Amino acid sequence: MTLLAERPVQETAPAPPKRRKRPVLPYLLIAPTLLTTAYLLVYPLVRNVIISLQEFGLPQLVRGDAKFVGLANYVKVLSDPEFWAVVRRTLWFTAINVVLIMVLSTLVALLLVRLGKWLRFLVMGGLVLTWATPIIAATTVFQWLFQSRLGVVNWALVALGFEEYRDYTWFADGEATFGILVTLIVWQSIPFAALSLYAAMITVPQELYEAARMDGAGAWRVFSTITFPMLRAMFGLITCLEVIWVVKAFVQIWVISQGGPGQATTTLPVYAFQVAQSLQRYDLGAAVSMLMVLLLVLALLAYFRQLYRQEREA
Amino acid sequence: MIGRISRTTAALVVFVLSVFPVYWMVLTAFKPTKDIQSATPTFLPVPITFDHFGTAIAAKGFFSFWRNSLLVAGGAVLLALLVALLAAFAIARLQWKGRRAFVLMVFVAQMTPWEALLIPIYVIARDTGMLDTLWILTLVYFMMTLPFTIVTLRGFLAAIPADLEEAALVDGCTREQAFRKIVFPLLAPGLLATSLFGFITAWNEFAFANVLIIKDQDDRTLPVWLSSFNNTFGTDWGATMAASTLFMLPVLLIFIVLQGRVTTGIVGGAVKG
Amino acid sequence: MSRSAALLVLALTLSACGSSAGGSEKQEITVWLMKDTATEEFVSKFESEFERDHANLDLKIQIQEWNGITQKVTSALASTDPPDVIEVGNTQVAQYVASKGVTDLSSRKAELQGDDWIPGLSEPGAVDGKQFGIPFYAANRVVIYRTDLFEAAQVTPPKTREEWLAATAKLDQGDQQGIYLPGQNWYTLSGFVWDEGGDLAKQDGDRWKGSLNTPEALAGMDFYRQLQALGDGPKDSDEAKPQQTDVVAGGKVAQFIAVPGAAKLVTKANPALEGKIGFFPIPGKTADKPGAVFTGGSDLIVPLASSRQDGAYEVVKALAGEKWQVELAKAMNYVPNRKSLASSVAGDPGTAAMAAGAANGFATPNSPNWAAVEARNPIKEFQTAVLTGADPRTAAAKADEVITQALNSGK
Repeated sequence: MTLLAERPVQETAPAPPKRRKRPVLPYLLIAPTLLTTAYLLVYPLVRNVIISLQEFGLPQLVRGDAKFVGLANYVKVLSDPEFWAVVRRTLWFTAINVVLIMVLSTLVALLLVRLGKWLRFLVMGGLVLTWATPIIAATTVFQWLFQSRLGVVNWALVALGFEEYRDYTWFADGEATFGILVTLIVWQSIPFAALSLYAAMITVPQELYEAARMDGAGAWRVFSTITFPMLRAMFGLITCLEVIWVVKAFVQIWVISQGGPGQATTTLPVYAFQVAQSLQRYDLGAAVSMLMVLLLVLALLAYFRQLYRQEREA
Repeated sequence: MIGRISRTTAALVVFVLSVFPVYWMVLTAFKPTKDIQSATPTFLPVPITFDHFGTAIAAKGFFSFWRNSLLVAGGAVLLALLVALLAAFAIARLQWKGRRAFVLMVFVAQMTPWEALLIPIYVIARDTGMLDTLWILTLVYFMMTLPFTIVTLRGFLAAIPADLEEAALVDGCTREQAFRKIVFPLLAPGLLATSLFGFITAWNEFAFANVLIIKDQDDRTLPVWLSSFNNTFGTDWGATMAASTLFMLPVLLIFIVLQGRVTTGIVGGAVKG
Repeated sequence: MSRSAALLVLALTLSACGSSAGGSEKQEITVWLMKDTATEEFVSKFESEFERDHANLDLKIQIQEWNGITQKVTSALASTDPPDVIEVGNTQVAQYVASKGVTDLSSRKAELQGDDWIPGLSEPGAVDGKQFGIPFYAANRVVIYRTDLFEAAQVTPPKTREEWLAATAKLDQGDQQGIYLPGQNWYTLSGFVWDEGGDLAKQDGDRWKGSLNTPEALAGMDFYRQLQALGDGPKDSDEAKPQQTDVVAGGKVAQFIAVPGAAKLVTKANPALEGKIGFFPIPGKTADKPGAVFTGGSDLIVPLASSRQDGAYEVVKALAGEKWQVELAKAMNYVPNRKSLASSVAGDPGTAAMAAGAANGFATPNSPNWAAVEARNPIKEFQTAVLTGADPRTAAAKADEVITQALNSGK
């Protein structure tokens, strides 16, 4: 592997390139990324765009010869009130999840910093275990914990004296199902965010904290005047990644509720899948997915602009 | 004193909440079938049974599933590391026109809705005769993990002081030698850590594996195996949970080996910008 | 376009290799059966005897998982080298046929004695008068009960709905459940709806319309609600979550509704119940007619893209023929694909109860879009809503809207 990794470098470095005006080296280094991305990502995306402009169902997939229909699919999707309901729901779902993930992860990270060696090892071990659990397996277990008759959650709630939860039907109620999905996604996402934030927090020089504490600053003040400003970029990056991952969350929702009951938990990827795979309207599904990318880019535009500016300064 | 007690309590609460579902999964794998669905849950595997692990391992093609998943996930990760390393070096160490645009592209590439690309990729694979091969899966998983790998590796690289390299250049090393002798050894743990994320992604993936491997059953991967304990009457929970436990083992092992290193790269990437 | 080009290239490569057509080399025929369709013994016996009788064919039977099967079959139909024979569920065959990627087998119908086929399997396999799906096997639900608990409560298998409710109420005592009926067993509900003369959806010319919000369907749901209350079945789940045979094996459950084969899973999980399991057809409104049931089952299809059509047909012919039909039905407690074969499996009590019910069998609405309804399944949500106290009319109207939309999509 090492050898392979260096071959392109070797070929392009006959002389030290540091004094050259227009170095080729960087472009050669990114060439593999650009080429593979072009073929494996951009090309399929372009095909997806083409499909979204065609009439493309199961017959066209099997036999070819799809007809172009212009923007008809987009018109159909955008004029469907259900689509807009799904968009609104996706925004809510993402906002709730990301806020919870970031707040709880920050708290866990702050806790980790303050723990002794053994407890820290224990908590980190627990987080790592959660992280390593296959998504499908974790999702199945959650579904099972919340079963109405034989689920452990209802059993525990009743044992704690909440009689109204005897046989409580979580999955019959849109909001309860929504809540379970949020719990599941937050549970799965905290390890990555908390461990990353913890790793970042220990890079903050201790002296800063000591100085602040000598000035009599409380915990919240220390966090808001030292930790957060120091790690601003880190919070930005993790929030951005979590937004992307939560919006794209599909397997969890599909396995637990398939977007139901009603459409209470149908977010954009679930909607795209329902349209594309269940109705076998791949054209409409493609249109929905392209709109989803567009929305995601719009939502993160501010972050990208900041990223772009930050890169100039570097 | 009070602070310490509340910290300990908080730590234990976090631990229990994060571990309980996993514990429940492993526990179920050891319970006899008729105890799995019982009105009063038991929290210890008494009586204990290993039948479910037997069922899981006895599934047809068990070893080829493992081999294929390792091949595909490993291949995708190696390929991603290789390609990402070059790109990460270019953005972390060199100044060039178009660098910002490239970084932005990498970020935008993370947003790819992969489920939506199922059909176009299927069509491309079919028309190029790549259906039913592990190659196409490897390539798809490679592309899924590449953007994140670049971001993380760039962070690791940024964390290694450029002075070290410049000193070597002054000493008459070429850039390539400087990289190989100075940077690479320092980067090795970071490479390992980065591979983990890609590995988990590739290890878990079901949708593409289900559609791109059609007739060649010897090329199926583990997630397909994981779903094979559904029968016409429902799911064999015991076997599913036993399979899930076995399924998470390799990931857990790599985690233990790498420990905290996984996150350092992301930190470096964000902090250094 | 490029698709046909790819086919051409493939054809050229294949003929260049000289391995496929003619020659003395064996032709490989790949068959997809679903998991739990047949026992391992049946599969290996069929494989070896088929290869003995067809010296030029090399049969490869692959067992497919249920998870993600629609996507898998779709991708198989669209591929250039698909499996040669695929087993598909009778409620899904229409959507695959609509893809125009399935071979028309109408000309073989006479040879396969198509006039004798049971309609629950042959009708879904036929579109516009052409036969694409060849009936494979059928099964319908019966009531499976604990003979020991029935004896202890001094009740006998009921014949009418009233008797059924009375007997179940008598059995539902203390920690013993009269019946374990999960809230979302929509196949069972469908039977009750058909009993009342209603249906899940009705066709009017070219358009479909959900018909749960009708007096008939609501009456069926009301009976379901009464029956469901006589046990501890979860209101927000179906018979797979948790797997009902495990629940029955682990607890004191007097009855549950399933295909007869499910009894084997109960005794496997709890051998103490061996010999204490009985069967009776789902009771109807009157004693002279058993309750309506959903005819579940499978058809066999041959993908059009298969280059081994003749070999594929040989497999279909064997599997749909008398010898293997009887063997399969006996091994799995199925209803064979031809009416005249029913008598050959009458000996088994489970099958007998099923055959009695099968006389009043129904199918889901025959539309290529029905699979889309099942994928989102508004009927299950309707059931849960009613069972948890929602207004039945409102819930039914909501479900109808979804059904109507799904069935008419693309029109």
